[in-house]
Amino acid sequence: MNALIIGQMAVSGALMGLVYALIAYGFQLTYATSKSINFGQGELVMVSAFFSLTLTNLGAPYWLMVPGGLLFGALLGLIVERAGVRLALEQKSEGWILLSIIIGLFFFSAAENIWGRDDRPFPTPISADPINIFGVDVTRLELSVAVGVLAIMGLVELFKRRTLLGKAFEAVSADRDAAELMGISATRTVMLSYGLSGAVAALAGILVSPITTVGPTMASALILKAFSVAVVAGLDSGFGVVVIGMALGALESLASFYLGSGWREAPGLTLLILALAVRPTGVFGKAAIRKV
Amino acid sequence: MLVVDDLHAGYGASEVLVGTSLTVKRGAVVALIGANGAGKTTTMRAISGLLRPSRGRVVLDGKEVQGLDPSRIARLGLAHSPEGRKVFGPLSVEDNLLLGAYARLPRFFGFRSRAQADLDRIYELFPRLKDRARQSAGTLSGGEQQMLAIGRALMARPKVMLLDEPSMGLAPVIVQEVFRTIRRLKEEGITLLLVEQFAKSALEVADYAYVMERGHIAVEGTPEELGRNERVIAAYLG
Repeated sequence: MNALIIGQMAVSGALMGLVYALIAYGFQLTYATSKSINFGQGELVMVSAFFSLTLTNLGAPYWLMVPGGLLFGALLGLIVERAGVRLALEQKSEGWILLSIIIGLFFFSAAENIWGRDDRPFPTPISADPINIFGVDVTRLELSVAVGVLAIMGLVELFKRRTLLGKAFEAVSADRDAAELMGISATRTVMLSYGLSGAVAALAGILVSPITTVGPTMASALILKAFSVAVVAGLDSGFGVVVIGMALGALESLASFYLGSGWREAPGLTLLILALAVRPTGVFGKAAIRKV
Repeated sequence: MLVVDDLHAGYGASEVLVGTSLTVKRGAVVALIGANGAGKTTTMRAISGLLRPSRGRVVLDGKEVQGLDPSRIARLGLAHSPEGRKVFGPLSVEDNLLLGAYARLPRFFGFRSRAQADLDRIYELFPRLKDRARQSAGTLSGGEQQMLAIGRALMARPKVMLLDEPSMGLAPVIVQEVFRTIRRLKEEGITLLLVEQFAKSALEVADYAYVMERGHIAVEGTPEELGRNERVIAAYLG
């Protein structure tokens, strides 16, 4: 009986953890091309979720709401890049950290003013009835998170490996100057990465909201965990964030069950401290090898 | 084809180029030689846009390109094979080559078949690259990486190619191979500006040469003329 409860907790936690993984994956996308990340990524998740909720309330069916939300997220990502990150990168400064936080705060205020401060339910056609798999109850809703996260990460990886534009993306992350010499515009590639990262954030919001509800505070709750995942897994392994995200989700859920819900955040923060102390390049990160 | 006129450029406050001027005619191989720190690589970087010139003009095929982004200049027909080769280490050899032709290939699908003829040509020029087509470029030897860097630049079918220090850090046998390739490309009519430490080898293959000293051109002439210039012989060919 006890093992079953542990299994149950671990599985639902791990599925939630995939959302952290997806947000962390968004960090990796922009880090690859520009060595910068959007510290306001949580706000992107939240605002895109609210926007998608509005689409649903306006009567858009699920299959139309999802691409609409993704496009909106991509647009927000482009705004962050154009209005913030690029200004700092052009001067080779680290100002993108503060600029992306500030733009995130703008999004946060906008969301509070447009949609209010309350948490709202996010209707979805996917049923929340549990299905029993090997003795563990999983809802279709939780499964939809797994399918959505793995599908979009798979698509992006396919794009990077199979299309010339995707290879150009990889080239910019390997050597920006050399890529420019091939006629690849690094500026545009960075834009592309922010657009993709925004779309990925929007999908995270759309997937998680039916389970957790939508509200302005979801931004900060999610971002910290996504950070933990990104730091522990490293900023260059998509596989890494999936594994660490699921592990963190499972740990959280077990901690809140056995130690009380006040301890929910403890595993993530402990992992973060351990990772920074022991292996700052991330468990899955490659140590940079440089040939002279 | 390529005209550089009174080029000034540098890093921060220190000016490295102080009025460099040179011309590369269509179908000519031009060598740029000189001591370490004379400004050869800086000249290349300022031409291709990696370094923004503070003064002067770079004219590529009749169009002024100074101050443009390197990607823009590349799309206008300049291929710069940089010092240190700079291959994309994590990507495969073939992907490196395909990216060389990025400017004229479709972005999503069908790019491989469109580039097949060019790939075949590069593989014929460097059979070793064909054997290693699927390997990641970072695992190649220095000589193979140099061939890849040259091949990648050729994939663009450039109007003008800049080749910076192709012999750097390579074994003598490989250096000979590199120069054999350059000679062959010359027969095929390439327009090339070549920077080289091995002044002798460079002059053997060049139609015309410039000698750089402290950021400007000190001497210029055909290889025969430079071969008779006592200063050049003493400093670079002795």
